[in-house]
Amino acid sequence: MSCKLEEELTAYVDGELNQAEAKTVRAHLTECADCRSTEALLRRTLQTLAALPAFEPSLGLRRTVLGRLDAVRTPFGERFRGWLRPGVLLPSTVGLLAAGVVALFVAGPASQKNLPAELQDGAALDVAMNYDVVSNYEVLGLESPDDIEVVARLDELEGRP
Amino acid sequence: MDVDADAELMLRVAGGDRRAFASLFDRHQRGVAQFAFRFVGDRGRAEELTQDIFVKLYRNASRYRPSAKFKTFLYRVAANHCLNEVRRGEYRVKHVSEGPEEGEPLETPAPEADRPDMHLAGRQLEAAVGSALACLSERERTAFTLCRFEGMAYLEIAEVLQASESAVKSLIHRATLAVARKIEAFQAGADEPLRSRA
Repeated sequence: MSCKLEEELTAYVDGELNQAEAKTVRAHLTECADCRSTEALLRRTLQTLAALPAFEPSLGLRRTVLGRLDAVRTPFGERFRGWLRPGVLLPSTVGLLAAGVVALFVAGPASQKNLPAELQDGAALDVAMNYDVVSNYEVLGLESPDDIEVVARLDELEGRP
Repeated sequence: MDVDADAELMLRVAGGDRRAFASLFDRHQRGVAQFAFRFVGDRGRAEELTQDIFVKLYRNASRYRPSAKFKTFLYRVAANHCLNEVRRGEYRVKHVSEGPEEGEPLETPAPEADRPDMHLAGRQLEAAVGSALACLSERERTAFTLCRFEGMAYLEIAEVLQASESAVKSLIHRATLAVARKIEAFQAGADEPLRSRA
């Protein structure tokens, strides 16, 4: 069909055209037999589709879905953002600093002499203890908060237990 | 319950309210299941997809902003999930209508389905519609399903698909015409034996 108004026919039948557009199509239909035939076909089709039986999900679906909610974990990204809230971040930072100061006073710099040279740096020790996670960050890079979640679930995504 | 009430429920879901989630589920599960069924053409898979979609909705509740209509948000989640699953190849579009297998949910029969001949004709028609849907592009199928089975307006569908209204108009026109021709061909074929018997 090459009629330029043919594209409008479905929207016309669906009542999606504005008044002026609908008027144009109505006028066109009085003089175009092809479009009248297409319009009739579309109307018959909509009647047929309306008579199709509806899909009814099983009665167990509700129970299954509500049961699965227990297994839903808050995404790591959201938990991470939660930790960054001032109400959480400020007290925990102050607490950690205080604990660090106390530890320094108690242990003193002399205790570090007993550690291997590569572990005498606190930052190096942190990296060593979290090497798996750090290596994932290095591989993937961190460009958006979503990346944090990807990194946190890397094992899961790679199918590792 | 109106659209705003849905949005309120969703905000409560974001706060961890499971009763609010159950209310939303009760209101929308049929629509989502129907959408998934028309999308993949398989009852069991449609149920699995419906489960996944609602769990995803629960998990992402905190990302919902009331500025987006809840129904639009829900069907965007549903459409994206169905598209992703089909693209991953996990759910191949089937649309071959066999009878329900044992243990499968039964469809709501149309009034004329009491007659065995009409029941068979209904199943064949379902198959014709299914195979027509399988021939559509993913976006055409999504737009067509939302329009014809969920009764959504073009503008709402445009929001779900994040497309312009005129693009949706074209998608729905092409899809409806393709399905119409398939049904017409099916009905022409189905009528022939009846006429020859007369």
